[in-house]
Amino acid sequence: MVKSHSEANGTLANLDERSVKHWLEHASHLLPSQGPIKVFVHHNTLHAFEDSNFDDGVLQGLQVYGCEPYFSEDRFRKEMKAGRIQVADLEQALLEELGDESDRLIAGFGTRFALQLAMMKHPLRSLPYRELEWIMAEGGGLQEYFADIDPQAVRRCVEATRKEILKQLESGLQNDGELSELLRPIVGSSTLDRVRNWSESKWKKVSLEFLWAVCNRGVQRTFVSRSTPSRSIPSRATDSFDQGTTDLEYSKQLDFEANRLVNDLLIRFSSCYLDQGFAAWPMPDRENGFFGAFCSLYQIPAPSSPAWLESLPKELTQIQAQHKTTWEVVIDELQRLGIDQQDYEHHVTQSLLELRGWAGMIWQMETASPWTPKPAPPGSLMGYLAVRLLLKRLATEYAKTMLPNPSAGQPIPSKDLYPNSEQTRTCASIAFTIFQMAQFRSWTPRTLFGLSSTDWSILLQEIEKFSSLQRRRIFQLAYERRYRVQALDAVSIHSANQRLRRNSQTKSGSAKFQVITCIDDREESFRRHLEEVEPACETYGAAGFFAVVMYYRGAAEAHFRPLCPINIVPKHYVCEEPVFSAELESGKRSQRRKWIGRVSHQVHSGSRTILGGVVTGLLGTLATFPLVARVLAPHITARIRDSFGGFIRPTATELHLERTTELPGAEWDSQGYSTQEMAGIVVRILQDIGLVQNFSRLVLFLGHGSSSLNNPHESAYNCGACSGGRGGPNARAFASMANDPRVRDLVAQSGIVIPNETWFIGGYHNTCNDHIDYHDLDRLPWQARPLFREMQANIDEARARNAQERVRRFESARFGLSPADALRHVEERAEDLSQARPEYNHATNALCFVGRRQWSRGLFLDRRAFLASYDPSIDNAKGKIVERILQAAIPVCGGINLEYYFSTVDPEGYGCGSKLPHNIASLAGVMTGAASDLRPGLSAQMVEIHEPLRILFVVETTSDIMHRIIAENAAIRALVEGEWVQLALLDSETSQISLYRKGAFEPYRLQSNQLNSVPTSAEMYRSERGHLPFASIDAVSNSISVGDAS
Amino acid sequence: MNDFDMWLYWLGLAVVTIPCGLVAILGLSALLGITLSETSISRLTQAAVLGSLLPAISILILMLATGRRFVPIELGNWVSIPEVHFHFHWKFIFDRLSVPFVILALMLCGVVGAFTRRYLHREEGYHRFFLLYSLFLAGMTISALAGTIETLFFGWELVGLSSALLVAYFHERELPVRNGQRVWSVYRLADASFLLGALLMHHFAGEGDFGTFFENAAWPGGSIPLSQSQALQVGLLLLLAAAGKSALVPFSGWLPRAMEGPTPSSAVFYGSLSVHLGAYLLLRLAPILEASWQLQWIVIGIGGISAFFGSVMSRVQSDVKSSLAYASLTQVGIIVTEIGMGFYYLALVHILGHACLRTLQLLRAPTLLNDYHAMENAIGMRLPDSTDWLAARLPSSLKRWWYRFGYERGFMDLILDSWVVHPFVAAFQLFDRQERRWTNWLSTEPSRESDNIEHHPESTERVA
Repeated sequence: MVKSHSEANGTLANLDERSVKHWLEHASHLLPSQGPIKVFVHHNTLHAFEDSNFDDGVLQGLQVYGCEPYFSEDRFRKEMKAGRIQVADLEQALLEELGDESDRLIAGFGTRFALQLAMMKHPLRSLPYRELEWIMAEGGGLQEYFADIDPQAVRRCVEATRKEILKQLESGLQNDGELSELLRPIVGSSTLDRVRNWSESKWKKVSLEFLWAVCNRGVQRTFVSRSTPSRSIPSRATDSFDQGTTDLEYSKQLDFEANRLVNDLLIRFSSCYLDQGFAAWPMPDRENGFFGAFCSLYQIPAPSSPAWLESLPKELTQIQAQHKTTWEVVIDELQRLGIDQQDYEHHVTQSLLELRGWAGMIWQMETASPWTPKPAPPGSLMGYLAVRLLLKRLATEYAKTMLPNPSAGQPIPSKDLYPNSEQTRTCASIAFTIFQMAQFRSWTPRTLFGLSSTDWSILLQEIEKFSSLQRRRIFQLAYERRYRVQALDAVSIHSANQRLRRNSQTKSGSAKFQVITCIDDREESFRRHLEEVEPACETYGAAGFFAVVMYYRGAAEAHFRPLCPINIVPKHYVCEEPVFSAELESGKRSQRRKWIGRVSHQVHSGSRTILGGVVTGLLGTLATFPLVARVLAPHITARIRDSFGGFIRPTATELHLERTTELPGAEWDSQGYSTQEMAGIVVRILQDIGLVQNFSRLVLFLGHGSSSLNNPHESAYNCGACSGGRGGPNARAFASMANDPRVRDLVAQSGIVIPNETWFIGGYHNTCNDHIDYHDLDRLPWQARPLFREMQANIDEARARNAQERVRRFESARFGLSPADALRHVEERAEDLSQARPEYNHATNALCFVGRRQWSRGLFLDRRAFLASYDPSIDNAKGKIVERILQAAIPVCGGINLEYYFSTVDPEGYGCGSKLPHNIASLAGVMTGAASDLRPGLSAQMVEIHEPLRILFVVETTSDIMHRIIAENAAIRALVEGEWVQLALLDSETSQISLYRKGAFEPYRLQSNQLNSVPTSAEMYRSERGHLPFASIDAVSNSISVGDAS
Repeated sequence: MNDFDMWLYWLGLAVVTIPCGLVAILGLSALLGITLSETSISRLTQAAVLGSLLPAISILILMLATGRRFVPIELGNWVSIPEVHFHFHWKFIFDRLSVPFVILALMLCGVVGAFTRRYLHREEGYHRFFLLYSLFLAGMTISALAGTIETLFFGWELVGLSSALLVAYFHERELPVRNGQRVWSVYRLADASFLLGALLMHHFAGEGDFGTFFENAAWPGGSIPLSQSQALQVGLLLLLAAAGKSALVPFSGWLPRAMEGPTPSSAVFYGSLSVHLGAYLLLRLAPILEASWQLQWIVIGIGGISAFFGSVMSRVQSDVKSSLAYASLTQVGIIVTEIGMGFYYLALVHILGHACLRTLQLLRAPTLLNDYHAMENAIGMRLPDSTDWLAARLPSSLKRWWYRFGYERGFMDLILDSWVVHPFVAAFQLFDRQERRWTNWLSTEPSRESDNIEHHPESTERVA
């Protein structure tokens, strides 16, 4: 009783700060979680819905954000035409989806499976009524069958119709009343003899007319029997006809107008509020929070204000006089907007989603970005919400005066201007669907005519149920299936071949050198080429931070930045310092850098003021030289700049890696690690990649990053495992640690004996221009130097070939570039101001292998696979090592893959649209053009060659271990069980693959036993821009690396 | 005409006609539905820019070598109706003003063309962009070299049209179209004023030819056959035109709105060339300014106010393109002030330098984060708050007010909206209501069938 009483009253007393905060937090999960763009971290765009499974998640995305869940049907059909999706894939996907239901007969129209397959194979068009009318009257809809229908089937259909009509005519159009009625207008006054002599094309036309008439009649009859016409079949096309004058429409229109006013204002205000130091004048009273700053700014007397804001200063003064807190304002405004109390939370969410980019950035700056120059004060998002609701009320009131409710004032346009009622239109639209289906499935008019209205009902329901969304989902499954089948077949066949070859060869000693790169898909081709160039080498993949979790500051850098995955908070600080002997010189150079920095900052900000502007303006003609040079000859200009760089570049440096204090910290003597910690790191990585014996003389660790110009998303191109930083320092730190004899002693205690002659080198691979830098070469022992020279030559060849493979994707690079020319081409891209595609980043990623390189070595993967090394033979029975690898690999690779997925299926909604009009706002994100919502996500230029497939993990482990890992790791479980990623297991001894489906691993049956083999990778990509099939590379496969057999 | 003159004539003709040829080729191919490849479009563009730039440079060298400061090129009348004293006279002049300006325009367009070649790679509107670009290029050369006021107007219109269409380049989004329309309406206002000014000039002097008008003295010399008050009238109209084109007060509101197109178009059109065209008009008409001291003071005033407002607004903007737009305005304001003071050469040098610098800055705008990062690293700490001369001297309450002023972009759009646009629209709505009332009364029923038109649903992509 008591409860219902308070509910009925719905008093404000129920609502306190906690509940408003709760709504806010709830809604904030739906906001983009990308922080300031300087640190771009890939993550699942729909992270908020990860608890549901993928298909529900994308539908929720459609509901909440209005963004596309899959490619469009048109796009999928194009892929079908190109052979990328085959009918067999559709069939399989449908069969799996329908299960036992696939054989259900649908009212004499064949099985459900056949019906749905037909709907997928042929494009079902839905036209607006007027267009439909036109097509049927004069647009040829009743002249010709659809183009993609088998001529045989057409002939059969026409023949059946001819027989039927002749039969009817012979009996004088009498015996079946209704049928004659339908036929009469079609046959007209033609006599039987004339009809007999009709030409083939005439018959075609007649049969179509007959069919159309039957369809119309059937649908209309069904509708009469149904009480409410279903609205789900004709979607947007007919809906827009109903934009009448209903109240709902009116309030929608009001909402639209009001939101436009509010958004314009809030974009500008939020941008100034969040500004990270771009504007010379910071916003006054910013420290008072969003609402406080807003009040101050809008209470400043203004000579003119837009009509809808005239009462704003008064309202603000009133609020301040009453000492209301922001959450009270929120509740107040919700009330004044006239919203039901149970809808408050929903309305709050909707309000925040309206400009979700800005709202999300405010939330990120408030909660997750303490490292930025100017984080937002706490309570900013609450303030934003209060302002938004307040403005919304004012704007709605104004919009009401501007747009009087038409149903209240002016008479509604008389109905006779709309001669066709809604039902007629809906019917016609459905009839058109059936009309198309009949053609696809060769249903004759006679059979359709003979159906009872129940049958019609069933048929309509059946078609309705298999909506466009459903079809797109099946298309997506088929699309993924094609690639999965090819990939798994290739893995299975290739690994079996490799095993045979390995068994026939004898094992001797260790590899010539060993290279460890990041698991990044862009390193796949580099590793493959290196193995081709020097088959006696081995390559490994490990997450690119190499277990060195640190805040790092380079010698020429101002701040520490984290170099580790985003979910780990480092405790250790590492600085790059000039070598001791060069401190003086280094000091001088740092002074020069400072000087140049100050001058360029002066020029930068000064050129926007009056006096500074005059000076720079008068001298501005000098800007012609860099302008012309950089645009016309980027490569040469870069070289010239580089050669001048010698005066300011830091001298030889070393890492300050070892600390003297007990605990790690940011102060000078507590920077770095203890030897114990170093040993832990070294053991961890060596175990992860399975390199615990057979060490080569040289072991090279390569971190990676990317440099490009005019690219606000530059950090997205860097190493994902380093929070969008460059992984060079991690590799360098790792190598230093592993070379330390004290560390090696400690490592030996865990059973990993690193031979004395083995030397580790840290390096950095720039994936944009394919440069490779090596660190601390001065310390390289004499004995290892000749080998280093050889390795360097091999790597130089490999990176040039890697560049050659990369440039095939760039339309602006002609085919047939030599490796050297290709290298030059990618170098130029990185230096080119006008280049919107410095590299393609992770685009096309689709696979992730976790296991020994021996089974994937020599397999051409087209730069589409993340490759993590893992050796099950040194793991324990519970799979501790594979668990910790997957703990990073599945969320990180899955996140990258899903971000690409969503930015590709809806570049405007989930992605950030075209890069061309991007405008950096607040130094925090990009807007499109002069003013827009902040755009998180990836740009259209980044994803244009991507295929939106859920990533397929192939892990070399057993199903028991995998089940345990899934059960014990929530993050992995959500992604795997929710089907956000695909998972397969490989038994490398038998090359058997099992595929994860609905909670269990099912053995995978090979679809083919053929795998192309080519002599070199270059054969594959020589003259092809599109995606390439799998193949086995003889150059590598035939010469099994010596260490592999371990 | 001797050989040397012939040479100059043909070279000058090449400078003007080659960009027009490019418009013709790109325009006709678009009209006839011929798809040109990206490579051929960019090659054509480069050839056209070079084909125009090289003769321009040759003319410069010839003029320097021979000491000639005034090279007119007559093309005769386009239209001539002697009875009503109407003629549209084509004439181009090469002098100390037009040659540097045309070389600047060609060079910047050339650079931006080369930039765009890669920047817009694979973009659907590649052809459209370059068509508008060629229109702009032709407009720029024509107006830079114009020898009569009507020729200048023709080029001026081409520049305006192509600019507005480029603002609305991404026409599938709402805002670019809205903003493009806004730019276009301000331009139309400026154009109307220009046209009136030109007519008035013809009316007073019977002549729109700068050469005869300024008594064949080489720029910036010459005197005009107008009285002081006539000069003031003509000058004010032309000043209004220049203010619209150069986004001077009170038209500054459109400048940041114009940053909707692809980055290179913003760079060349609003950062560098288009925005200086108003100043160029004033330079060209310098003798008119000199004829009236009131006019000079008004020019100085508008220039100074624009510069000051521009610098305040630029300080408050938090996105890079708006900030650069207002920074441009500041300098254009100063250039206009210089013109008002009679420092014509200074103004010319200022235009050249400023245009180059701003183009570079705008083309580099997307690399801002990188630049900030590099500067921070070089200095070794967070960037110091810029030592702001203005901020340090203002009391805090005044500073707040100026912040609001800059934040609202000088209230200029608001004031224009409420004092000009709104009354204008209200007046026409009133007429509309009256008309409806009359026609309804006459026909005794709702008379306007267009009220009931069904809109065609555009989206048919979603199917059953």
